[in-house]
Amino acid sequence: MIPLQVHFEAWLRSFTGIAAFMQMKWSWPAMESAHFIGLTLLFGSIAAWDLRLVGVLKEVPVSAFHKLVPFAILGFAINMTSGFLFLVTFPEQYVYNTAFQLKMLCVIVAGLNVMLFYLTSFRRIATSGPGEQAPLLGRISGAVSLGLWGTVIICGRMITFFRPADRCHAVDVVRFLANCVVR
Amino acid sequence: MFDPFFSWLESTTLRTWIVESPSLFAFPGILAAHTIGLGLLVGLTVALDLRLLGIAPNIPPDAFTRFLPVMRFGLWLNVVTGLTLVLAYPTKALTNPDFYLKLLLIAGGLLILRATLRRVRAGLATSGTTKLLAAVSLLVWAAAITSGRLLAYTCIRLTVDTPCE
Repeated sequence: MIPLQVHFEAWLRSFTGIAAFMQMKWSWPAMESAHFIGLTLLFGSIAAWDLRLVGVLKEVPVSAFHKLVPFAILGFAINMTSGFLFLVTFPEQYVYNTAFQLKMLCVIVAGLNVMLFYLTSFRRIATSGPGEQAPLLGRISGAVSLGLWGTVIICGRMITFFRPADRCHAVDVVRFLANCVVR
Repeated sequence: MFDPFFSWLESTTLRTWIVESPSLFAFPGILAAHTIGLGLLVGLTVALDLRLLGIAPNIPPDAFTRFLPVMRFGLWLNVVTGLTLVLAYPTKALTNPDFYLKLLLIAGGLLILRATLRRVRAGLATSGTTKLLAAVSLLVWAAAITSGRLLAYTCIRLTVDTPCE
C-alpha cells in the first residue's frame, strides 16, 4: 500500500474518544441520518442553483438563488462533520476504499469548479437581470456541478459495497471497471 | 400469515438477480438511484420550504413550480427503486414497523407539498399557514429520512427463514 494512506489511517486512529462515542448503540445511525439530511440541504440548494445556470427558470435572475448558498454550506458542514466521525471510527474501511476515494475526488473537483465559477462568470451573472441566459462557462459549470454532486451521492452509497477484502475491492480504476461495473 | 407470499417473492428470478448479482447495477445501483431521487425530490422541496420561510426573497415563490418536473422525476424514481428494494428484501421491509412509519411520513410530506404548492399558486405564499406548512414539511422530511436510515438497524427478519442478528 501507499505509505501516505497508512500514515493517514494512523492519524485518523488517534481520535479514540470520537471512535468510542461512535460505537455507542445509536450514535452511528443518528449520524447517518444527519448525513442524509445534510445531503438534501446541500444537494437541493445546489441543484436549484445549477438548474438555473443550465437554463431552467430563466425569468428569475441567477443572483436571486444566491441566498440559498448558506444552506448548501450548512449541509456541507453537517456532512463534513458527520463524515469525519465515520472516518475516524473505521478508517481502514474508507482510506483504501475506491468508492470513498472517488467520492472525495469529486468533492474536491466540485470545489474547484465553484472557485473557478466565482473567479470567472460570477460577477457578470450577479448583475444580470431576469430572463438572461447564463454565459456558456456558467452553463457548463452548472452541468458539471450537478454531475459531480450526483456522483458524490452514488459513490457514497457504493462505499458499503467496497469493504476491504470484499469481492469488489479494487485498487485502480481499470480493475474497478473490469471487476465491479461490467460484470 | 404472509410468509408464503414472502417466500414466493424471495424466489423470483428478478429478486435473485437484484440480491445475488455482483454487478454494481444490481442492489448497489438501485440503492444509489434511490438516494439520487431523495436528493432531487426532498432537496428541492427543502429549497421551496426555505424560500417560503423567508430565505432568498427575490425568487418569486411560484417560480419553484418550474422545478416540479425534476421533483416528479425524483419521486417516480424512488417509487420504482423503492418497490425494487422491497422486492429484494420483502420480509425485512414488511415485518418492520419502522418501514410503515417511513411510508406514513413520506405520504405526509407529499400531501403537505401538494397543499403548499396549491397555496403558492393561489397567491398565498406569504400567509402564516403556508409558512407553518413549510416548517412542518422540513420536520416531516427530516423524520422520513431518519426513519429510512433506521431501517438498516431495526430489522427483525432478513428473509423468511433468517432472523436479523
